[in-house]
Amino acid sequence: MEKVSVIIDGKTVEAVKDQCVLDVARENGIYIPSLCYNPEVKSSGGACRVCLVEAHQGGRMRLVTSCNYPVRKGLEIKTDTPFVHKIRKGVLELLMARVPDSDVIAAMAAKEGLTETRFRKDEGELNRYKCISCALCTNVCAEVVGVSAISMEDRGADKKPATPYHKPSDVCIGCGACVYVCPTGAITMKEKGDVRRIWAKDFKMICCSVCSTPYIPEAQVDWIVKTTGKDRSFFDKCPDHR
Amino acid sequence: MSAITSIEQLGKYREQVAASAKTDLPTVMVCFGTGCQANGARPVAEAFSKVIAEQGLKLDVNIGIKTTGCHGYCENGPLVALKPQGILYLKVKPEDVAEIVEKTIKGGQVVERLIYKDKTTEQTIAQYQEIPFYKYQHRIALRNIGAIDPTNIDDYILAGGYAGLAKALKMEPDAIISEVERSGLRGRGGGGFPTGTKWRSCVAVGSDTRYVICNGDEGDPGAFMDRSVMEGDPHAVIEGMIIGAIAVGAHKGYIYVRDEYPLAVKNLRTAIAAAHDKGLLGENILGSGFAFDLKISRGGGAFVCGESSALMRSVEGNVGEPRAKYIRSVEKGLYDEPTVLNNVETWANVPEIMVKGADWYASLGTKGSKGTKVFSLVGKVNNTGLVEVPMGISVRELVEKIGGGILGGKKFKAVQTGGPSGGCIPERLSDLPVDFDSLTEAGSMMGSGGIIVMDEETCMVDVAKYFTNFLVGESCGKCTPCRDGLPRMLDILTGITEGKGKEEDIAALEELCEVISWGALCGLGTSAPNPVLSTIKYFRNEYDAHIKDKKCPAGVCKALITYSIDAEACTGCTLCAKKCPQSCISGERKKAHVIDASKCIKCGVCKDVCNFNAVRIA
Repeated sequence: MEKVSVIIDGKTVEAVKDQCVLDVARENGIYIPSLCYNPEVKSSGGACRVCLVEAHQGGRMRLVTSCNYPVRKGLEIKTDTPFVHKIRKGVLELLMARVPDSDVIAAMAAKEGLTETRFRKDEGELNRYKCISCALCTNVCAEVVGVSAISMEDRGADKKPATPYHKPSDVCIGCGACVYVCPTGAITMKEKGDVRRIWAKDFKMICCSVCSTPYIPEAQVDWIVKTTGKDRSFFDKCPDHR
Repeated sequence: MSAITSIEQLGKYREQVAASAKTDLPTVMVCFGTGCQANGARPVAEAFSKVIAEQGLKLDVNIGIKTTGCHGYCENGPLVALKPQGILYLKVKPEDVAEIVEKTIKGGQVVERLIYKDKTTEQTIAQYQEIPFYKYQHRIALRNIGAIDPTNIDDYILAGGYAGLAKALKMEPDAIISEVERSGLRGRGGGGFPTGTKWRSCVAVGSDTRYVICNGDEGDPGAFMDRSVMEGDPHAVIEGMIIGAIAVGAHKGYIYVRDEYPLAVKNLRTAIAAAHDKGLLGENILGSGFAFDLKISRGGGAFVCGESSALMRSVEGNVGEPRAKYIRSVEKGLYDEPTVLNNVETWANVPEIMVKGADWYASLGTKGSKGTKVFSLVGKVNNTGLVEVPMGISVRELVEKIGGGILGGKKFKAVQTGGPSGGCIPERLSDLPVDFDSLTEAGSMMGSGGIIVMDEETCMVDVAKYFTNFLVGESCGKCTPCRDGLPRMLDILTGITEGKGKEEDIAALEELCEVISWGALCGLGTSAPNPVLSTIKYFRNEYDAHIKDKKCPAGVCKALITYSIDAEACTGCTLCAKKCPQSCISGERKKAHVIDASKCIKCGVCKDVCNFNAVRIA
C-alpha cells in the first residue's frame, strides 16, 4: 500500500493513498461529525454533507465530504475553519427542519451552537420520522447483506427507503442490519416473544438451545446457509453459548 | 446497400450520389422538425406530393420533395423552403400548396402573404438568407439542418458528410486530439470544459476499455438545440463520436437521449443502422481495421440525468443519481472505465473541425470561447427559435437584431441564460459579449444555450420562484443541501410573492444559497442558487418592493396587485363584464365600468380582452 503524507489541521500525518480523509482524521484523533458514512459499507457516504472540510490542493480550495475524498500527495485539509463551521451549521439547520424529532441531529447541531431552525419544519403530514434519507440502510442491505430488500424510492425531499410497493418484501431476511447502521434510529424493529417485526413483515426467530432466548430469524439462517455453506446446526446456540 | 470498404471508395461514392442526385433539381423542402410537425407540416408535405404528382406531366422539370430537420424558426411553422428560388414561406397550410406550385414553382412569382414580414417595420422579405433571423447566423453545428433529409445517409454524404472521419482515419489519434485542442472547442453542454483536454486526460488513464458518450438529455426549460441536431442531422453527431472514439481509443459508445424526444430517437436509430450498412460503424470502419459500435440509451425524464455521473449510472441501468466526482469520469466513468462524455452540439462540431481545420474554427469567436454557439431564443421576443452565432455576439444583438426586438414594443428588461442553473442579466448589461467567461462573471452561465427574453411585465422574484420550483421537483434527493435547502428557498420566495415577505428574508436566502452552492453534491445543486442570487444582485429593488411596500412592480404576483378600470379610457363597451368569470365588473353601456375588488380573482381576463387599454394593474 502506497503511503502519502498529508496535512490535517496543520499536522503532517501518514496515510494510505486513496484512503478517505475522514478515516485518516479519526485515526489521528481529529473529530469530524458524520452521519451517512460507515467504513464497513463501501457505497456509503457523500449524502448527508455534515462531514464537509476544506481541501486545499494546487492553490485551490474546495469544500469536500471527508467521508469519500481520497487522500493524495500534497493535500492539506482544514476541518476547523469558520467557513467549514458556517456551512456545516447551515446543513444541520436544514436537517433540524427535516427531522425536528431527532435527538441525534439536535445534539450534533448543538455542537455548532444551534438550538433552533429558522426554517419550516417537516411536521404533520410531512413528518419524516427521523429519516434523513442518507441511504446507508439501503446500501448495507444491497452491499453487505446482499438481498436489496429495501431501496430508495421517490426523489427530492420525499426520497426515502422502502420495500417495493410498500409491501412486505419477499427477499428481506429480517436481519436488522438497516436498523443497526441507521445514524438517527429511524427504522423500527420490534420483537415480541419469538417474532420479530420489521418493514411490515413478521419473522419467526430461532431460540438458543441453551438459554432459550430468540436470537436470529430463521430466514436469516436460511440465507447464511445458502450463501456461505455453513452448517445449520451452528445456529442452535446463540453467540454467548457457542 | 453494400458497405464502403475504403476511404477512397467513400469519395467515389459521394461522386456517384452527386451524379444521380441532380443537384440542380428544384426542390421543395418541408421542415419536419417537431415544432413544424406539431403545426401541421405532414399534411403540407402530402399536399405537395399530390399536387406535383397531378401536374407532373404539365411541368417541364421534375420536382423533388424533401422533408428536413428543424429550420429553427419554429414559431412560424410549418416552414417551406424552395430551391433554387431561395424563398422561405411561413405558416404554410395545405390549401396554400396549389398556389405555391402554380405561382412560385411554375411562374417564378412570390406568394406575398406567406413570406416574412417584419413586425416593426412592416417590411416583407422573401429570400431565406435575407430574413434577419437567418442573416446574422453562422451555422456550424446546424450546418446541414433544414437542407438535408436526416433519414437519408446519402444526403449527408453528399453534403460532405463523413469526410472528417476519412481524414481522422489517416491521422494518429494524438494528432486528432491536438487538432481539437488547437481549435479551442469547449463543451457545449454548459460546463465549457475544453474538449481536447478532456480527451487527452482520458487517454492518459491506462485501460483496455474506454467509452465515449453523447449527452442528449437536454432538460433546461426552453432549450431545444440538441433535439434539433439529433432530429435534423443525426449523422453529424455519429461522425463526431466516431472521430472521438478513434482519438481516445474507444470501441463502444452510447447516445443518451431523453425519451421525450421520440423523433430524435427514431432518426438516430435510422442513422445508426444506415451507418452500419455503409461500413461507417461496426467492425473495420472504412477498411481501416478500427471498430466502433454505437447504442442508444433512452433516459426516463429526470433532469439530473444530464449531470455526467448520474447519466452514466442511468446508462448502466441504475437509478440516475450523481456521485462525488473527486475521481473524474475520464478516469472512472461508465462501468468504472475511462469515459469521455460530450454534449450533442460538441460532437456535431467535431467533423467540421476535422475538415476545415483548427485554425479556421479558432478564428471564430472570442479569446476564450472559440467557434459558434447555438442558442434557443425564446420568451418575449418577436422572432423565437434556434440561432447559431459566433461566440462573443452581444445579448442586445441577439435580442434586437436576430430576435427582432421585444414583443408588442414593450420594454426589454432582462435575459435569463443557462436554464435553471443560470441567472438573469439585466438590460443595462446587454452589451455584454455572450461567451463562457463573461456570462459566468456576470453571475449567470452559458449553460446549454437557452436564452429567455423578459420584458417589463416579467416579475423577477416570480422568475426566481419559477426556476427554484423547477429544481425542487428535479432534485434527486441524495444530498441534504439541495434536497432540503431548495424547498426552504422556495418557501421564502413564495412568501415574498404572497406579500408575507420579511426584512430578514433576503439574508436568509443568501445564506441558504451559500450552503447549497458550497455544500451540494453535484452541479445541479451547486448551481441551483444562481437564479435567486442573480435576481437579488440585479433586481434587489423588486425584492424590496415586494417585501417592504407589498407591491409587485411588474404586476404579476396576484396577492400584491389590484385590477381597476380607468374611467377616462373605458368606453363602456361591456366586453370585460361579459368575459369576467366572477361577474364582478359592473357598469352601464357606454359608461365607465367598475371592478368589485372583493370578488376579483385577478385572472386578468378583463385586461386581455379590453380593446381600449383601460384596465390597470396597481
